[in-house]
Amino acid sequence: MTGMATERAPGATVEFDHVSKVYGPAPAKRRTASPGAVNDLSLAIPAGKICVLVGPSGCGKTTTLKMVNRLIEPTSGRILLGGIDAASRGVTELRRGIGYVIQQTGLFPHQTIVENVGTVPRLLGWPAARIKERSEELLGLVGLDAAKYAGRFPSQLSGGERQRVGVARALAADPPIMLMDEPFGAVDPIVRERLQDEFLRLQSDLAKTILFVTHDIDEAIKMGDLVAVFQQGGRVAQFGTPTELLASPASDFVARFVGADRGLKRLSLSRLRDIELRPAVTGRIGEPAAEARRRALADPLPYLLLVDGQDRPVGWLRDVEIEGDGVLTEAMAIPMSPLLSPEMTLKDALSMMLDADVHTGIVVDRAGRVTGLVTTDILGEFLREPIEVSAEP
Amino acid sequence: MIDWGWVGDHLGAMLGRTVQHLELAAIALAVGFAISFGLALIVTSYRWIYPLISGIAGILYTIPSLAVFAALVSITGLSIYTAEIPLIAYTLVILVRSIVAGFDSVPGDVLEAADGMGYDRRERFQRIVLPLSVPLIVAGLRLASVSSIGLVTITATLGASFGGLGFFIFEGYHREFPTEILVGAVPSIVLAILVDIAFVRIQRRLTPWAPEQAVRRDTWEGLPSGPRAG
Repeated sequence: MTGMATERAPGATVEFDHVSKVYGPAPAKRRTASPGAVNDLSLAIPAGKICVLVGPSGCGKTTTLKMVNRLIEPTSGRILLGGIDAASRGVTELRRGIGYVIQQTGLFPHQTIVENVGTVPRLLGWPAARIKERSEELLGLVGLDAAKYAGRFPSQLSGGERQRVGVARALAADPPIMLMDEPFGAVDPIVRERLQDEFLRLQSDLAKTILFVTHDIDEAIKMGDLVAVFQQGGRVAQFGTPTELLASPASDFVARFVGADRGLKRLSLSRLRDIELRPAVTGRIGEPAAEARRRALADPLPYLLLVDGQDRPVGWLRDVEIEGDGVLTEAMAIPMSPLLSPEMTLKDALSMMLDADVHTGIVVDRAGRVTGLVTTDILGEFLREPIEVSAEP
Repeated sequence: MIDWGWVGDHLGAMLGRTVQHLELAAIALAVGFAISFGLALIVTSYRWIYPLISGIAGILYTIPSLAVFAALVSITGLSIYTAEIPLIAYTLVILVRSIVAGFDSVPGDVLEAADGMGYDRRERFQRIVLPLSVPLIVAGLRLASVSSIGLVTITATLGASFGGLGFFIFEGYHREFPTEILVGAVPSIVLAILVDIAFVRIQRRLTPWAPEQAVRRDTWEGLPSGPRAG
């Protein structure tokens, strides 16, 4: 509690050591495991990674999550957090050191947003001024304008905004470990996609150790550095990187769960910045047209990309239609392809290109400058490449 | 029809009886609330006891007030206890149920989040459960206060030192003097309405977070209906 608000606690390792949870009568008398049971689970999650627990309902993934902060006590086995047995620590002290985000948010309806975010720092006895400062900082971090939202109540927010507050609240005391139980499950797909992207961006700075429960395999592949696929009876069917899961499912169950479209799913694993883009042939507004036409005709793509003074795309010109005299003007351009960010997954890029009914997407950097083009051919090429599986995650 | 001259001569007495009326109702409400809150707290730890408490309070509620007064006079005489014991007993069924319903109304995800954040039991109760129970608790208090204000009039049967505005109703009835009956009845109705409005105001103060229609909507479902006399 002596550190500055900007100082960051690194993630801690999370280790499950032969952990079981049995519900109800003695297991010998049961023919099948009861829902939520966990059977002899051993997993080691390295510090700073997102480990997604995914599986059908009743497979024990949420039970596993809740055993970490001892909302559920294991029947046997140990859970080590940063090497220390969770059972050896005081339960409230343990929980105050672990971020917790749940699907229904669990925001306190009678507290303002800024009070909600300050929950754990308040329990830890931080001075009021520091709690306020930290809460406002966190609202900014999750993309909510503190001046606008701080004084509101949860009922005055949209579902997506409430989830952001939930994440901010979990991060408030800068815990090394975060538990997230279907954190984006209750919002519509568009908002979910955005929250996922923003959270991944946040995590690339924060490097928390995160256990993330979902039943959605696509979300698991997108969010996880590591994915543990659970199957009925609380057993882990496979534990590995998303690439390993897609390339070599360990069993029929995993193959079925991952889905028949696992080749296509690889498109979610790579981002535009990871692949080689096609260089764009551009012409600047005001440039002599003859020069631009010559350049465009030299390139197989029958179009020239018109850009403004800052290299920001304005529209396409058909190369054969560029008049030989005069200069390039904005009026000549035909409508543009979708603009794509290098952070976008190939799947999202392809989907935007299909929506716009074009074969070429324009990749732009943060300032909106053209960095290259992506075509459906490039994506097809990517899918034909064999999957490389690295030995270590 | 109304003897305004009589009304004018008795303004002082009316004021005095109004104050007494409020006192008798307020004592019943305060003591009834304290007992009910204690019982509701016990229920949070020992749930199995709830049907028992709720059942006993329900039985008490069905005993006619006149019969209780008659029975109590032989024990506590014509004292304030004789007046207050039934009034308090009648509030229990409403207040215990509304307070327990209030505690129960806290959503499961909120409790789970509070536990997950590291609240201990006592902090969770004081900072989360109690404030979120306010709408249902106040709904119970509104009902119990209206009921008590109505029942105070019956305490007039215990003699002139009780009854609040009910004194006028009983005396007017015996003297067959409609003006006096109205002088008792109309203000006691107005009193009940004013107290109810006051509670709505208080709730709005205490629950700035609740959507407006939730405050206005009567959250009385599952609670016994209406004040009763006789």
